[in-house]
Amino acid sequence: MINNLLIVLVISFAIYFLIDILFLRKKSKRFIYRARLVNVLFVLGILSGFYITITQMTLYIFLQIFLLNIAELCVLALATTGIVLIFKTSVTTNFAQGTMATFGAFFAAKLLLYLTRFVDMSMTLKLILALCASAFVAFLIGLFIDVVIIRNGKNVNSIGKQMITMGLVLLLLGLMPLVYGLIPLTVEAFSYDVKIFTLGEMTLILPDHNYYSLIITVAILLVLFISLRFTKWGLGVRATASNEIVAGMMGVNTRIITAMSWGIAGALGGVAAFLYAPVGSQVSVSYMVPVQVNAFLASVLGGFSTFGGPLVGVVLINLFQSMASFFNSVWSNVIVYTLVLILVLAKPFGLFGKRTAKKV
Amino acid sequence: MQMINIYIKALFKKLSRFSKHPYFGFVVFGIALVIAQLFSMGGILSQSVMTSFVLTMIYSVVALGFALLLGYAGLASLGTAGFVGLGTYLIGHFSGTLGYPLILTLLISLGGAVLLGVIVGFISLRIEGMYLAIITLGLAEIMKEVFKSFSAFTNGVNGLSFRDFNIFGIAISANAVNFIVIIVFILMIVATLNIIKSPTGRAFLAMKNSDSAAQSMGIALLKYRLIAFIIATLYAVIGGMLYMINQEFSIPQKWSLDFSLNILAAVIVGGAQSVTGIILGTFMIFGLNSAVLQNIDFFVQNPSATWILNGTLIIVVIMFYPGGLIRLLKTIVYKVKGWYLQLRHLWRIYRYGQDSK
Repeated sequence: MINNLLIVLVISFAIYFLIDILFLRKKSKRFIYRARLVNVLFVLGILSGFYITITQMTLYIFLQIFLLNIAELCVLALATTGIVLIFKTSVTTNFAQGTMATFGAFFAAKLLLYLTRFVDMSMTLKLILALCASAFVAFLIGLFIDVVIIRNGKNVNSIGKQMITMGLVLLLLGLMPLVYGLIPLTVEAFSYDVKIFTLGEMTLILPDHNYYSLIITVAILLVLFISLRFTKWGLGVRATASNEIVAGMMGVNTRIITAMSWGIAGALGGVAAFLYAPVGSQVSVSYMVPVQVNAFLASVLGGFSTFGGPLVGVVLINLFQSMASFFNSVWSNVIVYTLVLILVLAKPFGLFGKRTAKKV
Repeated sequence: MQMINIYIKALFKKLSRFSKHPYFGFVVFGIALVIAQLFSMGGILSQSVMTSFVLTMIYSVVALGFALLLGYAGLASLGTAGFVGLGTYLIGHFSGTLGYPLILTLLISLGGAVLLGVIVGFISLRIEGMYLAIITLGLAEIMKEVFKSFSAFTNGVNGLSFRDFNIFGIAISANAVNFIVIIVFILMIVATLNIIKSPTGRAFLAMKNSDSAAQSMGIALLKYRLIAFIIATLYAVIGGMLYMINQEFSIPQKWSLDFSLNILAAVIVGGAQSVTGIILGTFMIFGLNSAVLQNIDFFVQNPSATWILNGTLIIVVIMFYPGGLIRLLKTIVYKVKGWYLQLRHLWRIYRYGQDSK
């Protein structure tokens, strides 16, 4: 299999150089055609890579692993969208996304404990309440961070803001044991049953938790993307993203837009952390760190300049992970990160990113 | 008598010229540290304070390299933890497990550091700014996973221990290791000062302020980015080796994102463009906890409070004192000097009258 993948790699390199040297040399706008050629080869290469791997591991196993990993995919998608939202409005990569989310999830876990002890309520209702609480607490933290810290640091450049978020990581990591105690808490899944269904001749298993996570995630992301596209708030976000100062001059209240983006990003993280708790393990101080790292890599892979690109990055990373863990579970993370690194080196602005012109 | 006076004056003049040398302060600092180590061996200074000093020195070496990268070349990297971890494992594996002589281990480790620096440098040519931070973070994660999985080299998640460190067959005791750390620390400071003042350091500064302007002035981005990363990885690997001979144990969980963030915090809090500032910042982040805060009851009962302190420090420093704590100290010193001069002036007016000078 590795031989086949290497052959694909060599062939695509050969095609690139041959076409570049033989045909594109005489074109007047060579770099535009070159970029298109790279895109086409990229899609073909990734597709053929997937084809080779899937035939090796059979379609049935591939689908089954994919279904088992859906919850992680949803968590990653939510976390990534939060990071991209903040990047769009505040031009900084938020390293505190995972920690903000953990803060919310801890609150939800505490609330669940309280509800189980003192209130007579059905399990589903309790969980829905806790989910909302998690999102709300993370929303408040996001709002608080923007209003108190980021807004007052207007003259800090983007790398400085990035470091502020790193400071926030330390601050929140220190606050969590003080507020919630040192003991990791558990969050129950909505249901521990599985759905069994047949597709053609294959009998596949879909855990219920994954099913509900998928529904929640798709609903949230649909609402978010529709409001980004069609509401006044979404227009404001897009205007702020393209140029904050000009947007402010045109009457967009950039303060509220930025604050709401931080809040919503926090809420997305809160939902993600709540959904991830039953999958990963327990709610502990740093259980969102792997998700955070993956979310960063996904958004770099997809490119920060669009909202949809990072989601493609999320799906790709999830697929890479499920495939790599099938072939070699010990080294799977190394394989995935190396693949992402190579892809990003080939396209530095992400798969869907645009090269921004730099003023000198 | 007069002759002796003249000689003494000449000696003082020479001494004062000597004291203005840029290395002077750091050499005195090193001598003070040696004395502190002697005191701790004699039992006058408590052992925990000296341990925190030594750890601060080790991390300062790493932070110095990182500051050259961030404060001078303007390249944000989050891969520090991976590089330091590599240093610990290189000396632990080659010198400890395989029992190679020290010179060979040093050659292998520094060669490995240069190789790693070249790789990251080439990556930095394609990817810039915040993307670079994330990609180096990914690289550090790759290295952490390798440390966890490559058991033949790193002994996996159980951690690699490294005992009986020796130089040419002579066993080095724990106290002697502290002296080695002090010497290497002072040497690295001198090296850093030289790099900053050399054409390379000036090229870094030009590159930080504007890539395009630097290029148009004839600075090769490829060369200087590679050099910047090679220097940073060299410092980090040396720091890792010092950590290994001092702590005698290395575990993959130690070399995670937290460590990189802490080094970054140290550099930012102290002031990325001043060697004194970096040492101060490293002490604030790493040494303060065990040297001072462990004697206060509140911090002993709530270990996480030190994290809160560090986080708040970083945020406040970035928002209000972009030059770091060292800039704040300098401002305070200038202010105090100004007050003193004003008071002296007022006193002279009072003593000698308005027109006196």
